[in-house]
Amino acid sequence: MKDWILYCALFAVLFSATVQAETFHTDAQYCLVCHGSNAQGNEAISAPNLAILPDWYLSSQLQAFQSGWRGHQSTDAYSKEMMAVAQSMSPEDIKRAIGFIRGFQVSKTVEKVAGDVSQGKTLYQTCAACHGAAAEGNQTMGSPPLAGQYSWYLLRQLQAYRSGQRGSAEKDAAGALMKQIALSIKRDQDLTDLVAYITTLDIQKTNLQQTDIKK
Amino acid sequence: MTEIHNKQLSRREALLWIGKVGGSAAMLQAAGLFGLFATPVQAQAELVKLKPLTSGPKTVLILGAGISGLVAAYELGKAGYHCKILEASHRAGGRNLTIRHGDFIDELGNPQFCNFDKDPDLYFNAGPARIPAHHTAILHYCREFAVEMQTFCNYNKNCYTQDDNAFAGKPVRIREYEADTRGFFSELMAKSVQAQAKLDAPFDDIDRQKLLEFCRSYGDLSSDFTYEGSDRAGYQSGGILSPGVLKKPRAFADLLQSNFWAGAMHFGELADQAAAVITPVGGMDKIVDAFLSRLAGKVQLKAQVQKVQLLPQGVEVSYWLDGQLQVEQADYCLNCIPAQLMAGIENNFPADYVAVMKALQRGKLSKIALQAKERFWEKDQIYSGISWTNQDITQIWYPSHGLFKAKGILLGAYSWDPAISDRISAMTHQQRIATAITQGAKLHPDYGKYIEQGNSVCWQRMNHMLGCGAVWSEDLLKSSFATLQAPVGAHYMVGDQVSYHPGWQEGAVRSAWYAMESIQQQEHQKQRQVAV
Repeated sequence: MKDWILYCALFAVLFSATVQAETFHTDAQYCLVCHGSNAQGNEAISAPNLAILPDWYLSSQLQAFQSGWRGHQSTDAYSKEMMAVAQSMSPEDIKRAIGFIRGFQVSKTVEKVAGDVSQGKTLYQTCAACHGAAAEGNQTMGSPPLAGQYSWYLLRQLQAYRSGQRGSAEKDAAGALMKQIALSIKRDQDLTDLVAYITTLDIQKTNLQQTDIKK
Repeated sequence: MTEIHNKQLSRREALLWIGKVGGSAAMLQAAGLFGLFATPVQAQAELVKLKPLTSGPKTVLILGAGISGLVAAYELGKAGYHCKILEASHRAGGRNLTIRHGDFIDELGNPQFCNFDKDPDLYFNAGPARIPAHHTAILHYCREFAVEMQTFCNYNKNCYTQDDNAFAGKPVRIREYEADTRGFFSELMAKSVQAQAKLDAPFDDIDRQKLLEFCRSYGDLSSDFTYEGSDRAGYQSGGILSPGVLKKPRAFADLLQSNFWAGAMHFGELADQAAAVITPVGGMDKIVDAFLSRLAGKVQLKAQVQKVQLLPQGVEVSYWLDGQLQVEQADYCLNCIPAQLMAGIENNFPADYVAVMKALQRGKLSKIALQAKERFWEKDQIYSGISWTNQDITQIWYPSHGLFKAKGILLGAYSWDPAISDRISAMTHQQRIATAITQGAKLHPDYGKYIEQGNSVCWQRMNHMLGCGAVWSEDLLKSSFATLQAPVGAHYMVGDQVSYHPGWQEGAVRSAWYAMESIQQQEHQKQRQVAV
């Protein structure tokens, strides 16, 4: 716990008028304004849980937002907000932000989702191939963990893949695959059932840290 | 009200049509056409009076240095409480924000430094910009602190209304639009009254002649109750050394084609907007300065709250300061953090309390300010006030101060429509300025020629805010306002968000007063328990 506080302190440079307006805030607490004080997400801001996401996925999604794979075609204001923030971040900022997020305890908000959990479990068999039986994620496949994520966020992403707002960028191979899968889910009720099942899953104890960027 | 209105008018066919037009405008207004300019609650006349604290030393942590936090620290301090304000931002004031040369505009993903020239007149109020007379609580402090005030012009007949769907998109002076609309409206009314041999219910007790004279006076009708134009619309030519030539009235159908009548035309009638409204000379943040000069050493900037814990007695707050977590306890906590952000901050609050915070919607509101190298609007006979357009920029404000100076700051866009604000906020800063110039050019030819630079504030994107005035639905107000207003132990949610008047400083002050009176009650009760 202490080493990341030290890490933050090292990088915490007080803001002054000499800092260029183009640069990301030097304090990574920036992320917590929207994503919650423990990076656990905040429904009121429509900001997802970051603490459950491994370094490699956070990094790839920040790059996706930077390059406009995510957010650019989107019609929802939330991904546009994230795109603007990501585009203001340098590679160093990204490393620092991920290192900061890693310091928080992984937590999950208990949700009650109206949906047929057993039907969702059946549907999830398709998802398990990439996201893992316990929805723990699989870096090799480029699949993030889903367990612990908010139902409203998962649902919005499934809809974004179905509508082509996500997964349409040329270089986004993992996204393109997910788009195909999402398109194969025809009924809205199936989406709800699927999400209802995923929210029953416990967070898996996996190594979220990819590199030793904290040191 | 609309229903009763129509019921009565249905007795007279000729007037039904008028009733519909009037009714729909009234309805639009009632439906909150102006978003945050909702019908105000009756302002309370009484002022807060805290008795000096006698129950021993008490500490209060105030989260947020917006108007409610500043008021609380000032009043509680006077009564003997030890107060400390934790403010997450680099500045105090909250949404009371005046932007001048060099100021940092802390928008997430789009940080800017204000590029206006260094000049005391070149500023804009990004948050509140005007105070109506019945906002007696915030005005109480302006008076007490001797903040120099001036009138603020919300309504100027020489400004324009521009609608892409009317008059071939050309701007029309508000005076002309209003004179012609009233003229035709009055003529219609007069004609329908004249057509009846005898007025029947519900007009049977009305003096028919008086009603006709009212129509004449209201619409400036001629002797035979027709509208043939009016000098209220402004002369076509002449009027000083030669006879004034009236403008030809515009066709009523054309006037109705514009949507100006549906809301903007009645903006100056709204309870919170009607003349005269006032504003501090030199910027709204003069009020913040006045508080700060009385709260030396009590405001900790850049302190971002991490956790709020209710204790058996009092409250514990953890916060980030210079990259370190700090922990502090206090007897009371006044929490002015926007509810939508508090919902994401670790706490041990009751679930129903947090549920209200989550249910409140983020207010979306954007302003774009432009520096003009020349006050071209003054040469166009506009001295202060607001022009209206049905384009996304919605309004152009001409400054109420600095008349005849070389340069001026226009408010080149002001929208409180969430959809418009989403469109504006999704743009880069440069795109916003370009959009404001392109759209403004429909009202002022060569607009772009005069604009030197600009700055924008989208409140739903501002760091540590993520929203403007909280959006309460009517149902949520009914079911949950009391829950959010009531203390949870020693913890109070405050700010304009905990008022029926979000988006106004009056709501912030009154909310703080309410919480402080409740604290005083708690102290009083504790003393009585000890005494027993």
